[in-house]
Amino acid sequence: MNATERCLSRRGLLKILGMASGGIAAGRWFAPDLTMAQQPAREKAMETFTGPGANPHWNSVGPYITEPQKVPLILLTDRPVQLETPRHYFRTAFTPNEAFYVRWHLDGIPNAVDLKDWKLQIEGNVNKTLALGFSELMQKFKPVSLAAVNQCSGNSRSRLQPRVPGGQWGNGAMGNALWTGVRLRELLDLAGLKSDSQCVQFQGLDTGQGPAGLGSNLFLKSLDLKNPVLDECVVAYAMNGEPLPMLNGFPVRLVVPGYFATYWTKCLTWIRVLNTADENFWMKTGYRMPDTPRGNTTPEDVKAGKVKTIPVERFPVRSFLISPDGSSKIPAGMNVTLRGIAFSGFGAVNRVEVSDDGGKNWTAAKLGENHGAYSFRTWEAPWIARSPGRYSIAVRATDEKGNTQPDEPVWNPGGYLWNRIERQELVVGNAS
Amino acid sequence: MQNRARAIFLVTCSLAMAMVVYAEIKKGYYAPEELGILRQAAEIEASPDSNFQGASYPAPGVDLVPGDGLQEVQIYCNTCHSTRYITMQPPLPAATWEAEVNKMNKTFGAAIADDNTRKIILYLQTHYTPDTRKQ
Repeated sequence: MNATERCLSRRGLLKILGMASGGIAAGRWFAPDLTMAQQPAREKAMETFTGPGANPHWNSVGPYITEPQKVPLILLTDRPVQLETPRHYFRTAFTPNEAFYVRWHLDGIPNAVDLKDWKLQIEGNVNKTLALGFSELMQKFKPVSLAAVNQCSGNSRSRLQPRVPGGQWGNGAMGNALWTGVRLRELLDLAGLKSDSQCVQFQGLDTGQGPAGLGSNLFLKSLDLKNPVLDECVVAYAMNGEPLPMLNGFPVRLVVPGYFATYWTKCLTWIRVLNTADENFWMKTGYRMPDTPRGNTTPEDVKAGKVKTIPVERFPVRSFLISPDGSSKIPAGMNVTLRGIAFSGFGAVNRVEVSDDGGKNWTAAKLGENHGAYSFRTWEAPWIARSPGRYSIAVRATDEKGNTQPDEPVWNPGGYLWNRIERQELVVGNAS
Repeated sequence: MQNRARAIFLVTCSLAMAMVVYAEIKKGYYAPEELGILRQAAEIEASPDSNFQGASYPAPGVDLVPGDGLQEVQIYCNTCHSTRYITMQPPLPAATWEAEVNKMNKTFGAAIADDNTRKIILYLQTHYTPDTRKQ
């Protein structure tokens, strides 16, 4: 019996009318009538976890949660807070503050800062210790603005095979914002570095329950003073022209363009110059990758103790198809625009290519406005599928250093640096 | 009266034909605990002083599998982080769970007594490996 016949069947119609009147009488039009002899099929929500295979979804699978100053985002963990940005917020080059992903390491996350008392301290191995208030940062220094992608080292961790423990991010542990603030170099120069200085350490207001001296008590990151990225760093007091949300690091956050977010200290309050190497957990043990091409290794080599590690730093080139996202079937013959973003921590993306046969044949996409080397770059490409079927849309980007996204997976025990070519299946249906 | 009822029936029939011939309405439902509604957060009450204060961070409950060791998990793991750190993970091999719990003690200084550590490891291995994980 096809749909037309079913609608015309008198018995079926009576059933529909009966259900409708029942619904009206109960005053609950949309509620299921569970007294019916035959229950309608139970629909499914998203699964609550993925694995041991790879997460097949673009985002992680957690529920939505509303956190302060945020639209509903995907919950990974609630204490400390880890929230992922849903795919559709990446339609634009700049990610809205209220949708920007969140990742903290320790559970003592500030949610009140009194700017009367708060001072940014520049201390340690310097000629003159500084304590600068928020208004001094805004008024005494030349403001600089910079578009830069902030991406978690573990973005897309849920793709790895075998799976590794840690935040099971889909692709949404990233965002791009226009950061405005003071050049870090200007602050360091004002304080004056002593000649035996080695690195500069950053500490935020967050604290954990662990004993002093351990990684569970303080989250500390540092950069070597010889690292040229220091000249590009910004102590940002504004994000997309607004104050930073608390969960993204109000009052100020360090911006390290091209570097993974682990260095972008939130609620930055202590800038400490050291005349020794930084031996704390988050430099010596955490956030390290194998010293191999792409940070790739195997569980066997890790077990055999063969893997030498180095700190994660710049993020590799990546690109994403944002829409269509596969949530709608596309009628055959329709002109569709494929849209997405691309970025690299090694310099501007200058080529994005798309494929509708899973990566056999590639055509160049048109790049959107250039907001700077460290920003998301939007791209688009027209696409038309004349015949029904399943199409595997693949996208790959190349940056100005000539790095192109590979098609091989990556594996390391931390779950870092995933940048394999992404694919999205689109189903094209018969339109006649 | 019968004619009137028949007329109403025919009109309804033809309306139904005109309306639904092109579409089908599929019946189904979601279990209330699976897909629900999410309330919006209240707007903030800010005053023009120097204190920049946000709302508290929500702490939703976590569904852990009942069983031996659950109490130890809830007491000790919750000291530093919510137990959603467990349910968020993919099913992990027994050896990985053991290494994770040992890391909390040795690297992060959790200092959980040996018998409680063993109970926690056993609980995780009993309910959250590829062979055992159900929810």
